[in-house]
Amino acid sequence: MSFLKLTNVYKLFTEIPAVEDFNLEAEQGEFISFLGPSGCGKTTTLRMVAGFEMPSSGQITISGKDLTYVPPNKRNVGMVFQSYALFPNMTVAENIGYGLKASGKPKAEIKQRVEEMLELIHLGNLGARFPSQLSGGQQQRVALARALAIRPQVLLLDEPLSALDAKIRVELRQEIRRIQQQLGITTIYVTHDQEEALSLSDRVVVMSQGRIEQVGTPAEIYTTPSTEFVARFVGQINLLPIHVVDQPAGLVKVGQQPVRTSRSVNYSDEKALRLAIRPEELNPGHREDANNLTGVVETVTYLGSIVRIRVLIEGNSVLMDLFNERRLRLPAVGESFELNFDTDACWLL
Amino acid sequence: MKKLFKIDVWAWFWGILALLYFFLPMYGTLDFSLRMQKGQISFLAYQTVLADPQFMESFRYSVIMGLISVSLSVILFVPTVYWIYLKLPNLRPVMEAITLLPFIIPVIVYVFGLIRTFSGPPFELTLTPFKTDILITAGYIVLSMPFMFRAIDVGMRAIDVRTLTEAAQSLGSNWFQVLFDVIFPNLRVAILSGALISFALVMGELILGDFLVRPALGPYMVLVGRDHAYEPAALAIISYALTWVCLGLIMYFSRGKNTQQLTGR
Amino acid sequence: MNPSRRNPLISMLWDWIGVVPFFVFITAFLIFPSLNLFSGAFKDANGNFTFTNLNFFTDSYVIKSYITSLQVSVITSVVGGIFGFMVAYAIVLGRTPRWMRNILTTFSGLAANFGGVPLAFSFIATLGRTGFITAILKNICYNGADGSAVCPFNPYDNGFNLYSLLGIVLAYTYFQFPLMVLTITPALQGLKRDWREASENLGASSTYYWMNVALPILWPSILGAMILLFGSAFGAFATAQALTGGSLALVTILIGQQIRGDVLGNPNEGYALALGMVVIMAFTIAGYTLLKRRTARWLKV
Repeated sequence: MSFLKLTNVYKLFTEIPAVEDFNLEAEQGEFISFLGPSGCGKTTTLRMVAGFEMPSSGQITISGKDLTYVPPNKRNVGMVFQSYALFPNMTVAENIGYGLKASGKPKAEIKQRVEEMLELIHLGNLGARFPSQLSGGQQQRVALARALAIRPQVLLLDEPLSALDAKIRVELRQEIRRIQQQLGITTIYVTHDQEEALSLSDRVVVMSQGRIEQVGTPAEIYTTPSTEFVARFVGQINLLPIHVVDQPAGLVKVGQQPVRTSRSVNYSDEKALRLAIRPEELNPGHREDANNLTGVVETVTYLGSIVRIRVLIEGNSVLMDLFNERRLRLPAVGESFELNFDTDACWLL
Repeated sequence: MKKLFKIDVWAWFWGILALLYFFLPMYGTLDFSLRMQKGQISFLAYQTVLADPQFMESFRYSVIMGLISVSLSVILFVPTVYWIYLKLPNLRPVMEAITLLPFIIPVIVYVFGLIRTFSGPPFELTLTPFKTDILITAGYIVLSMPFMFRAIDVGMRAIDVRTLTEAAQSLGSNWFQVLFDVIFPNLRVAILSGALISFALVMGELILGDFLVRPALGPYMVLVGRDHAYEPAALAIISYALTWVCLGLIMYFSRGKNTQQLTGR
Repeated sequence: MNPSRRNPLISMLWDWIGVVPFFVFITAFLIFPSLNLFSGAFKDANGNFTFTNLNFFTDSYVIKSYITSLQVSVITSVVGGIFGFMVAYAIVLGRTPRWMRNILTTFSGLAANFGGVPLAFSFIATLGRTGFITAILKNICYNGADGSAVCPFNPYDNGFNLYSLLGIVLAYTYFQFPLMVLTITPALQGLKRDWREASENLGASSTYYWMNVALPILWPSILGAMILLFGSAFGAFATAQALTGGSLALVTILIGQQIRGDVLGNPNEGYALALGMVVIMAFTIAGYTLLKRRTARWLKV
């Protein structure tokens, strides 16, 4: 049986649905990300798990216990807030011990647990500081320690890294994952950053406009997005209009140029069909056993480790990402250009 | 579902108690002011007050003094605050502290000091009514200082004084043009707020007029209160209406802005 | 003229020239009279230095006036402070309808500026001997055992008197609690919703949150606001004068009598009386600063 379960959860804010028909089952120790643009309902869903919002209908259970209408302070669910929400009038140690003290644990136990937590987040010597004396990254760690100190059944993180510098963000990301795996705690992580979601999670829930678009492992989400929204939101994607030439053989045409696909796709709704392919799957030059398309170079953009080339093919702009290797010969703008890709690198959406 | 429709009894309780505290004395005053004629509602108390030449005189005196001191206050404060924003930003906390002094020194103490200092030689500012009026005006300016400074300070902070000034100067304006064509118009609401609240303060002020023995509205009200029953209520309503109008105008002019500046506290 | 070529001293003086009128005015009409007050308290009738004016503070009626003034100020700032805090709570955090919050906010802005003589008149019209609430209470009667009318709720039969300390407290509260609402509202708005939620999330009750997070954070603001209330009550004169006609001996009333010369004796004693008020205000503010520093170590970064 799954550990954390959301069943048919709806949330309406004055008649406007914020979350619609949300269903999810998480295993014990699983790390799940809610990924989506702002306003997609991911934070609202998280807040329903925490108990700050009541679902308009549906059910939320943790290890078989119905928590749907249990008040937040009776749930034993740890939450890390986007703003950290550290209590400014308390030291780091007091912040971490807050939940234990509120539930009337003995002093010695609190002290020991706080030290454990400080150790866990590598801030052992900062227990006496006030939050205002810490850096953003340190504050974030304290917030994490505070949420974990009460030994919660589930850990909830609401965009915990969005206020930090890019560099610290990557560092803390790994830290969060390390701690999560060390404790084996079931975790829900809300983010709008696809890189965070993909790099951290066991599974990713992509949301848009209150609905789940797709649930899957990071690899599934990236390589086989099931909707156009997911394809566009996670990574870069080229979508080219096609018309079907030979349905059973998987042969289609982009303008006048033939393309062979290997995946089984539902061809019923022909007019919406488009050929999807990631920029990094495209290679320069001609290859006999692959698909080949010819166009004209529009722009060449230098991005450091990657060079992005935009090619106009049959009236569509196609992005191609190449590793910036020294032997790379960059095409000139306006040049005729041929690119190739494997038959199983592309699919129809 | 359960918690959603729970009424916040605690908040309602205090809210209603506050509303009662606000409205009952207001209602009581209004009710009282209309009962001068036995057994019926009438405006007799108001008519009596308005027909009293002494009321007219003190009202006129207070309005004139109010206008004079408020104008002088604006003329004194706007350039000073402007200058501090432009050239001496470090002085702003000092000025703020000084302007808050009238909140710390009780008015009666201040007036006591003022009278004792300026009534004797060498100043003798209480010898003639005109000289006394100079002293009263200075007193009014000092008493309204916290409100005036706060209002102008808030206004100045909202506009980028330095950039505006530099822009105007780069377009060839001199200091006076900068002040009158650029700063004043942009501070209109702030100046008006400060002026109106200061004016309301002068109209209700008792101590200066009373102890310097000038015919201001405050002392007149005390006088009426001593010998009459219904007229004071009518006077109170008139006085509230005046404050209402002043503060209402501020709210009207500063719609959408932070109303915190209203009382300057 | 290129400013960089100017003599730095002249350039500095030039920077200060714009504030000269203000500081001249302040020096003449605020600083100078205040200093004069201070020195006057230590002079005898002939202008010689002396401490004898301070003996004045041993007079029982002077001591009593200070006690009464402090009583009024402390009571109204505590009562008005708590009441105002609750109202601000109802406005900022309470689940009350919008119209109610708007009315409360607007009226706080108005009532904080109502005061002085008209306020005294209002309370006389409401709670005076013929006031409107008095009349209502007075007319709640029933027939007693012997057939005569018994009216147990007449406030003036039950020891109430508007022209007393209680009356002053009631009247002062009228502007005190709105003042509290205005000063404490920004602080309440500064309480982050996240703090409350974090507290709930960690298993704490609402009471525990208020005792350990919200009130400690608000404490300096509450104290500061109450100091303001204390000062406004301590220095108030007009309402008390109009309400009691000077029969309740507050320090301000006593100073007023000194100015008029109603009280015989050494005029320099008036200076001492006034100086005493300033000293009390100064101590209050100093005490507040100290307390704030102790209760809010976390404010210092």
